[in-house]
Amino acid sequence: MAAEAKLSHTAAMILQAISAGYVYGFSIMEVTGLPSGTVYPAMRRLERDELIRSQWERQSIADAEQRPPRKYYKLTAAGRSTLDASRKRYPLLERLMPTEEARSV
Amino acid sequence: MKSPSDVALSALQRTMLHTASLLVPSTDRAEWNSEWFAELWHVRHSYAGIDESISLQGHCDIARFCLGAFADALCMRENSVKSPHRPPHMHGSAAQTLLWLAVILLVCLFITSFLPGVQAENEASRFQISSNALLIAESADDGAKPSIPAGLYIDWKTTRQRFFQELAFYHVTRESVQSGTTRVSWNVARSSNNLFSLLGLPLMHTIDDDAGLPSVILSHDAWMHSFAGNPDIAGRVLKVGHIDARIAGVAPAGAWRLPGSPDLWLLHPDSQIAADLPRRTPGYVIAQLSPRGQAAIEQSGNGISARNLEDLLIDLSATSLSAPVEGPWNLYEFALFLALIALPAVSSVSLGETHLTPHRPSFRETVRRSLFLCGKFFLIAGIGLFGSFDIAYCATFSYSPAAECLQLVSCFAICLIGFRWALADQRQRCPVCLRRVTNPASVGLASRTFLGWNGTEMICMGGHTLLHVPALPTSWFSDQRWLYLDSSWQFLFADSGIY
Repeated sequence: MAAEAKLSHTAAMILQAISAGYVYGFSIMEVTGLPSGTVYPAMRRLERDELIRSQWERQSIADAEQRPPRKYYKLTAAGRSTLDASRKRYPLLERLMPTEEARSV
Repeated sequence: MKSPSDVALSALQRTMLHTASLLVPSTDRAEWNSEWFAELWHVRHSYAGIDESISLQGHCDIARFCLGAFADALCMRENSVKSPHRPPHMHGSAAQTLLWLAVILLVCLFITSFLPGVQAENEASRFQISSNALLIAESADDGAKPSIPAGLYIDWKTTRQRFFQELAFYHVTRESVQSGTTRVSWNVARSSNNLFSLLGLPLMHTIDDDAGLPSVILSHDAWMHSFAGNPDIAGRVLKVGHIDARIAGVAPAGAWRLPGSPDLWLLHPDSQIAADLPRRTPGYVIAQLSPRGQAAIEQSGNGISARNLEDLLIDLSATSLSAPVEGPWNLYEFALFLALIALPAVSSVSLGETHLTPHRPSFRETVRRSLFLCGKFFLIAGIGLFGSFDIAYCATFSYSPAAECLQLVSCFAICLIGFRWALADQRQRCPVCLRRVTNPASVGLASRTFLGWNGTEMICMGGHTLLHVPALPTSWFSDQRWLYLDSSWQFLFADSGIY
């Protein structure tokens, strides 16, 4: 995927949310306000285009917290540069979600 | 403590996820299930109160979350079937349109290949009854009912005829026919030996060895249904009523267009007819005109006077049997011609080539566009041909004039509607990339038509053109117009990375 690939606003919001620390599908839904039918398919496509990558949480961590393990998402290098380009295209993107709060999670 | 409704709704939500998972390719299903069920656990957890109960609103939100799983499952499925190097923007492209039309054409062709009626119509058009053959009947009955007594036919045969050079007779009754151990009840036409030669109908699968038995000719339908179209049927012995007869041939499909609908013809010499049938038994008489008779018919019309068994002068009518069968190809050509003639009446044939900018499509683009339009017309014409066969002969196994009529009407309708669609589709194709313009946006106000234009604006997703279609054609904006976009617009269009 070319680093300068142009994203729709929705895809850019999802990348921004992951960058801000919202690394699970449901948390991205909550912070962006997008429905599950938009967020998960968009993440599939972003992962297919290698802008994000997914990883399963370790079973031991999930067992310790008595919950099922979750799949979390991280930006790749290409995803970061695409997000930078998208921020120039959508200047208000960074203000859409509370990064401070995300860091504290 | 969970309430029963909580348990039921929870089961419903899990069922939704399980159902959606069926859309996911089996190789990815386990991981997809793990992710969605884990997410569902967290969603439910976020809505659960202290006592782990969930409000009705919460359940609705969770159900909405689960519905999104279907979109995700479909996305997974699409990703798995798409090649990673799939050409961008296949959706709405010229190739996609041609592909769909070709698929429809192939489906119609496939169905046509299984329809016996099409073959029958083809054969019917090949076997034409002699042009000088007439069906003689009493005027009042007009040939639909048997009206000439067998005795009168024998009298005519034994006297010299001025206007007819040959006469044939047949009489249809319901009789039992036995082949081996199988006994069926068929329409049997007891006919004079010369019936088929007078009509000029060639027989299929004939045999010359007569073995001293009367000959029978099978109808094509009887041969197909009772003998499974066995090509070695000639020579087999059947019992027709109390008479043993030998199969001498099969009548071609659709060739018999006389009254009576016989399943087989039992051929007798005239002396046998005179001996077997009472003189007053009504039947059908076929006459072959002599050159003198031909001239007389042309002069005096189809009325004939003859003496009946009581030696009284009666009026008879003569109906020509040589009404031509057009055949499927002739009908198709006619329907296609009609559709092309009618096209300007139902659609403007202009392709809306007015341009807002000085830019003009290159010669290559113009040729490509023309070829695309021709390709659509060609495929639609093919669909018209085979689709009309399918409609006309889906319930008819043999040739019939009604099926011919239905074929003509359906072919005309398919071609006319198809051509109209092809032109309308062409008007909304970007001249540069032939993709359909999309995202219609309403511009302007109808109440201000005379101050500024109002209508619909559509854009090519490849970023090449904008199409302006006026809502109300005016003298200064009557046709749709293309606006070619320069490179400064490109930043708006994501190519393969669009989500």
